[in-house]
Amino acid sequence: MSTENGLIPALLALPRNAWRSVFRNPLPSSDLARSQTTFANLFLHIHPVKTHAYSLKPWYTMGLGVMAFSLFVVLTATGLLLMFYYVPSVEQAHNRMLDLSGTVAFGTLLRNMHRWAAHGMVGIVFLHLCRVFYTGSYRAPREFNWVVGVLLFLLTLGASFTGYLLPWDQLAYWAITVGTSIASYAPLVGEQVRFLLLGDRVVGQEALIRFYVLHVAVIPLAISLLVAVHFWRIRKDGGLSRPEDLDAPEAQADFPEAQAGKLEGLAPLAKTAKAKTFGVLGMVRGPFNKVGNTPDNTVYSWPHLFVAELFCFALVVLVVLVAALLVQAPLEAPADPTHPPNPSKAPWYFLGLQEMVSYSAFWGGVGIPTVFVLALLLLPYLDRGHRGTGVWFSRHRILATTTFTLLLVVNLVLIVIGTFFRGPNWALVVPW
Amino acid sequence: MTTRTSPGEPPPDGRLTRRRALTLTSVFGLLGAGLVAGLSNLLFFRPRVTYGEPSRFRVGKPEAFPLGARLPLSRQRCTVIRTESGMAAISNTCTHLGCVVATTEVGFDCPCHGSRFDPDGTVLGGPAPRPLTWFRLSLSPSGEVEVDTAEAVPTGTFLKV
Repeated sequence: MSTENGLIPALLALPRNAWRSVFRNPLPSSDLARSQTTFANLFLHIHPVKTHAYSLKPWYTMGLGVMAFSLFVVLTATGLLLMFYYVPSVEQAHNRMLDLSGTVAFGTLLRNMHRWAAHGMVGIVFLHLCRVFYTGSYRAPREFNWVVGVLLFLLTLGASFTGYLLPWDQLAYWAITVGTSIASYAPLVGEQVRFLLLGDRVVGQEALIRFYVLHVAVIPLAISLLVAVHFWRIRKDGGLSRPEDLDAPEAQADFPEAQAGKLEGLAPLAKTAKAKTFGVLGMVRGPFNKVGNTPDNTVYSWPHLFVAELFCFALVVLVVLVAALLVQAPLEAPADPTHPPNPSKAPWYFLGLQEMVSYSAFWGGVGIPTVFVLALLLLPYLDRGHRGTGVWFSRHRILATTTFTLLLVVNLVLIVIGTFFRGPNWALVVPW
Repeated sequence: MTTRTSPGEPPPDGRLTRRRALTLTSVFGLLGAGLVAGLSNLLFFRPRVTYGEPSRFRVGKPEAFPLGARLPLSRQRCTVIRTESGMAAISNTCTHLGCVVATTEVGFDCPCHGSRFDPDGTVLGGPAPRPLTWFRLSLSPSGEVEVDTAEAVPTGTFLKV
């Protein structure tokens, strides 16, 4: 115990000292403080100290990446809570689902939130992929981050598919039976893959525990790891994509509001940043340090970037909450391995596949999806152009844009047919 | 490639130093361990026993099946038939995507993607790529008919009774 201060003053100062030991910087009010807060905080320091004004245009990114991550956070939180009551056993799983709505406080709400956030994440992650494609943002130097993104999209589908089985109702049981049978059409290894996945020849207890472990541990861990790499690479690849001539002096007309200091930054944007020095804070900004008379169109991440991200997160939470309060997550009768419902349908995002599978199981379920995923993975290594990067639907990329849109529309049409126009025996029906 | 060494670090002269030996041992040791672990995991994930329905089961004496009988067994996923040629067991698992087919008067219908089969399990229509599997039948010492769903036999293989 310090003799020079005494115990009483130390106790009196304890709350303030404790607070300051956690939060080294007060809420920033100067540019230096903004930099330091961003730089010194574990959760903020994945962001750059300053962000390019182009990256903050709402209609450029639409915040889809942040929304996808927000949904992952919501799913992790609700999923962890649901784990306290769920039992991955064929005897108990369905009863536990009923208990969630009957005996667990907020059980229904949590399950609804988890279900709608999961569907939302599949949709938002895919829209994010579309955004990156249509703006040509996968091109060099961002090839690898695109690959990581495609893997994250596949993991999202995997997380959703494994979670689909867990309620152990009729919908779950037959969707997984159909889905894993598609895997068995893969040449040579197909039957083995299905057997490894299910741990048995049919969907049963072994499949349930395997899907459970994949759903609550393996896939979330893989997603977390890849998300960290994904975020890190944004920084290392020089921030979000933007037109390459954006910071040329003649392009300054694009940012009148920034030039006039109207972006509410306490830092008025320097028209030209003269002879920057390479301090540690500057180095963190990556390869966009410029020495000399080059325009600087960056703004401080605190508050501009953080407010935008906070708003996206809040919006996602609000939408999920409202959806969970208004719409019940479906729960059918307990799984009955002897009676498939007619028709048996996969989750909506796989209904395009199921529709193709009804024509040819190999091409619909294995061939075309494999070709499509390989094409996505190879895309940035085949498209080596640079004109039109950072702009939506650039006319320099009209071939790529048209092809992608065509495939998108075909898949969408197939999903709509599979969802609404397929009745008993998978016969075409008119829904009205 | 030449590497500039920091002060205190011996110049790289190609000799096997202790550090180099430790690095190589660690790297290749871990690579080997990773490879062995990966292969072991393949074996680990492949169950040696399964806990579902047993593949061999008895369905009763032949006399219990009148001529023309078609008895679907929902738990075991097969239909036991008796014709003039003898008895047989036809799988109820659709060869398309593993749904359970419904046994009807005129064959089998799959509810998932609309495959149709004739009474012998031959494909009549729909996306099913193969006819329904026939399972081996045998007579147990007690005179009961025993089905083995782990063993397939060619279509038209009847057990004479």
